[in-house]
Amino acid sequence: MLPNLSGPQTLGKGPLFWVLFFAAVIAAAGVPLFASSFAVSNFSYFLVWTFMAMGLSLMWGYAGILSFGQTAFFGLAGYAYGVISINWGDAHGLTWAALLASLTLPVILASVLGYLIFYGGIREVFVGIVTLSVTLVFETFMAQTAGPEWTIGEARLNGFNGMSGMPALTINFHSGDLIFDGSPFYWLLLALVVLAYLGLRVLVNSRFGNVLVAIRENPERAEMLGYNIRFYQLIVFTIGGFFAGLSGAFYTLWGSYITPSSMGLNAAALPIIWVAAGGRTDITAVLVSTIALTWVSQQLAIYGSQYALVLMGIVLLLVVLFAPNGFVVSVWRSLSKRSFVREAADPVRKFTSAAD
Amino acid sequence: MDFLYYAYAAFYQFADAFSFLVLSGIGLAVIFGMMGVINLAHGEFIMCGAYVTVLSARAGLPLPFAMVCGTLSSGLVGLVLERLIIRRLYQRLFDSIVATWAISIIATQGMLIVAGPSLEGIKTPFGSFELGGISFSVYRAMLPAVALLLLGALYWLFVRTRFGIHSRAAMQDADMAKALGVSTNAIYSKTFGLGAALAGLTGALYAPTMTAVPTMGSAFIVQSFVTVVVSGADVMLGLAPSAAALGLIQALLTGFHGQLIGQIGLLVTVILVVRIMPTGISGFFLRGSGSK
Amino acid sequence: MRVSNWGKARAASLMLAMFGIAMAMPAAQAADPIKLGLLEDASGNFAIAVIPKIHAVELAVGEINAKGGILGRQIKIVAYDTQSDNTRFQEFARRVIQQDKADVVFGAFSSASREAIRPIMDRYHQLYFYNNQYEGGVCDSNTFVTGAVPEQQFSTLIPWMMEKYGKRVYTIAADYNFGQISAEWVRNIVKEKGGTMVGEEFIPLSVSQFSQTIQNIQKAKPDFVVTLLVGANQASYYEQQASANLNIPMASSVNVGQAYEHRRFKAPALKDMYVTANYVEEVNSPESNDFKKRFHAKFPNEPYINQEAANSYDAVYLYKAAVEKAGTTDQKKVAAALRSGSICTNGPSGKVCIDPKSQHLSHTIYLVHVKADHSVDIPKVWNDIKPYWLGSVGCDLSKKSDHSQYTPSHLPKK
Repeated sequence: MLPNLSGPQTLGKGPLFWVLFFAAVIAAAGVPLFASSFAVSNFSYFLVWTFMAMGLSLMWGYAGILSFGQTAFFGLAGYAYGVISINWGDAHGLTWAALLASLTLPVILASVLGYLIFYGGIREVFVGIVTLSVTLVFETFMAQTAGPEWTIGEARLNGFNGMSGMPALTINFHSGDLIFDGSPFYWLLLALVVLAYLGLRVLVNSRFGNVLVAIRENPERAEMLGYNIRFYQLIVFTIGGFFAGLSGAFYTLWGSYITPSSMGLNAAALPIIWVAAGGRTDITAVLVSTIALTWVSQQLAIYGSQYALVLMGIVLLLVVLFAPNGFVVSVWRSLSKRSFVREAADPVRKFTSAAD
Repeated sequence: MDFLYYAYAAFYQFADAFSFLVLSGIGLAVIFGMMGVINLAHGEFIMCGAYVTVLSARAGLPLPFAMVCGTLSSGLVGLVLERLIIRRLYQRLFDSIVATWAISIIATQGMLIVAGPSLEGIKTPFGSFELGGISFSVYRAMLPAVALLLLGALYWLFVRTRFGIHSRAAMQDADMAKALGVSTNAIYSKTFGLGAALAGLTGALYAPTMTAVPTMGSAFIVQSFVTVVVSGADVMLGLAPSAAALGLIQALLTGFHGQLIGQIGLLVTVILVVRIMPTGISGFFLRGSGSK
Repeated sequence: MRVSNWGKARAASLMLAMFGIAMAMPAAQAADPIKLGLLEDASGNFAIAVIPKIHAVELAVGEINAKGGILGRQIKIVAYDTQSDNTRFQEFARRVIQQDKADVVFGAFSSASREAIRPIMDRYHQLYFYNNQYEGGVCDSNTFVTGAVPEQQFSTLIPWMMEKYGKRVYTIAADYNFGQISAEWVRNIVKEKGGTMVGEEFIPLSVSQFSQTIQNIQKAKPDFVVTLLVGANQASYYEQQASANLNIPMASSVNVGQAYEHRRFKAPALKDMYVTANYVEEVNSPESNDFKKRFHAKFPNEPYINQEAANSYDAVYLYKAAVEKAGTTDQKKVAAALRSGSICTNGPSGKVCIDPKSQHLSHTIYLVHVKADHSVDIPKVWNDIKPYWLGSVGCDLSKKSDHSQYTPSHLPKK
């Protein structure tokens, strides 16, 4: 096992944790064997959002960069997959090429935007307002692309009503196509989520991760110690953009549909809520909380009738009042005071007004 | 003479955009700008002020009194929420995002359940006047003056009065303020209540010119955050120039290129202003004077 | 740990087995209810216009069930609140099809939400009713539309307005699909009838302040303004134009009939607004009055019965007629019956029939005029206006299946 999989920056270490982890993964992988096809596609839906949330956790929880506009990267990749895959079609494995191509765009946007932000000396809440502005510009612009002039090759952007009709990921065999739909799509997503989760664990427990936390705790001090903090912030911002893009591309694949409102204000707030409510300083907590909260909010919408949103609000209020470090982290700590729990000194800093 | 009419018409557009930005942001300037609480329920405080104004005006109260009711009730709601919820979050202000977002969805949907999807509106008072073939609403023409008046009053309150000085002291260094005998808890309460009341006043002022629906807060929220953030650290100093700069650009772009470019232009301007002045407009002004 | 997990697994597999047995029971017995999936926005932005739709479906279903149901089977509504959120629509569309196995799905208010679920309906060949006025052009074998479309609303409204007020027209429209496509229709008709567009402005949905727009209109001096504004933000236009004393007649396809602005806004904000709607509560005919009486008996607190409520009510009866004609709830056969050309119902707005080519509904179109005190009169009624446009440009679902949306500048390939 890689040494960096566990460390000071993540909850969970030791054999029991990993036994539980593998049990959870195996159980999740077994879902399509006995669950209905609806349940499988619904589980896929929950998994879709976890990349964006884990990326935001890396940015915000580990490196102290609060972006309010991860949906910009989400939407960019989602639309890019739509445009590219509709033009290239689903033969010759081109859907996979379309997926890769659509993921490079958020990376490019994030690195350019990140360069402007961090090398321009923009910090703290100003980062949030810049990213929020970017996602709202995207939303406003895409909403008005209804006309036939907004066509890229074969693909109509179709404005506020959203773009649809993009092909699913497909492997073309001589004997026929393997379409990543239903269970194969779910397994692919699950594998990627596990990969992303483990990858992020290695990253944050590495030297790189320690530097991020140092920057979060005190950027000036980290700079004094000789770290090029802007470079670190730029890298983290780009990774966060990539993960948001991954969610966006898979959201488009999941429903064969992408809409400008997925870049709007409400959509932009959601990842922040998931991350903050679960415990932003831990990848595991964010992964669990994203799945749990999307599930709870769906259940409430089904059974809560008109009270669904009120109840969701109450759930979140309770979480924030009674689980100050995020509900997953709090539950984790109260469940067990055993050795696999990281007793991190979670430095709760007072964040005074922008004047510090 | 025609030139003067056109100049006024253009000025009216600028002033209209300016007052919308100032009034959107003024409550948030206190709650977020000064206290640091990222208040995603700001729009719902505005909605609360508008609803109470409309309801009390329809119950027969003269409009100015109805507006006072709207302002006070929103302030009261703010005080209660501060006592019950926000107070516990001062040590972890990022969590205020989750709490205020929760309050926002509870308020929006709760209002839909309680008061129905919409209220019958109230009429805009004072009628209209005409200049060079173009007619203007008197009421809306007065809003910029109200906005300026409010800005002045707020500046006076925070810079000249004892409450204001205590409040700023408590925000800057709570422990030191406490040591000097300031009751910080009471100060936080009052400041938050003031911010909520100001948001309510915005709702009250716009109630006669907008439709009262539970989601009406969303019409203000983006404008309020961009105006306040662009103001920078010293929000009392920065709010007016921030709203003026953003309002001017928005009015020009809307006038020449239509509403879409006006909306997008406003947001792009925010990005550019922050890029050029990474600490906001007030930070840019204060840089020369040695203050950070 | 391991032991207890094994125990759980065994218990789970036992339950699954039992579940499997339960599922294997003979499926659709004669007495099983017919499942009508309902995906509507009971909360969020659109709730104001959607709540009457939901109630109308409940009313129609209640009436039919009280009279013995359809083919002896009761109708069961499986409703989800989609919260004016496109993603919720996608989640629940799958749920209502795959898990609840709905026999027919009704739903969606905004065109965006319809487009979010239409691909899902198509993928599962789900019979689907969209009961809403919209920008037109959906040519989809699985979708039946009971709302009014531009050729029904604008080809009546615009010529009438030009004759009464003059030929200089200014359009302000919400800057998205509905507004842009509707504005295109208005532009084409104005040109065709020899008028001039003196201005055309598109406004993002987030805009709530209209001072500049009002000034632009005053400078252009149109004879009337076509207002294709949508949503709560843009509704603020009416009060703002009234307070600026704009005083120019307005024409629209969306107001009054949907979100009853004339009841909600203080007079005279909507003075001289003309709307073509296929139903408004003020329609004073025996069918309409009877409908209103039943509606208010069941939902006494309903603030307004809008045209989408009438459409939803009609849709339930159209579905009933088709199932009875097909003799089964088999979706393919019901769809075939629906496009047979003989499915009609006598609803609140009069007799309406499904056009087999476009799968849209013929309508009685009422010209609704809002007076200075916000009372309403109906100066003109057009009977039996057909949804002819799609058929005329080459969409014929009775012959060729399709899943597209067309517009005047995006026509079917010949």
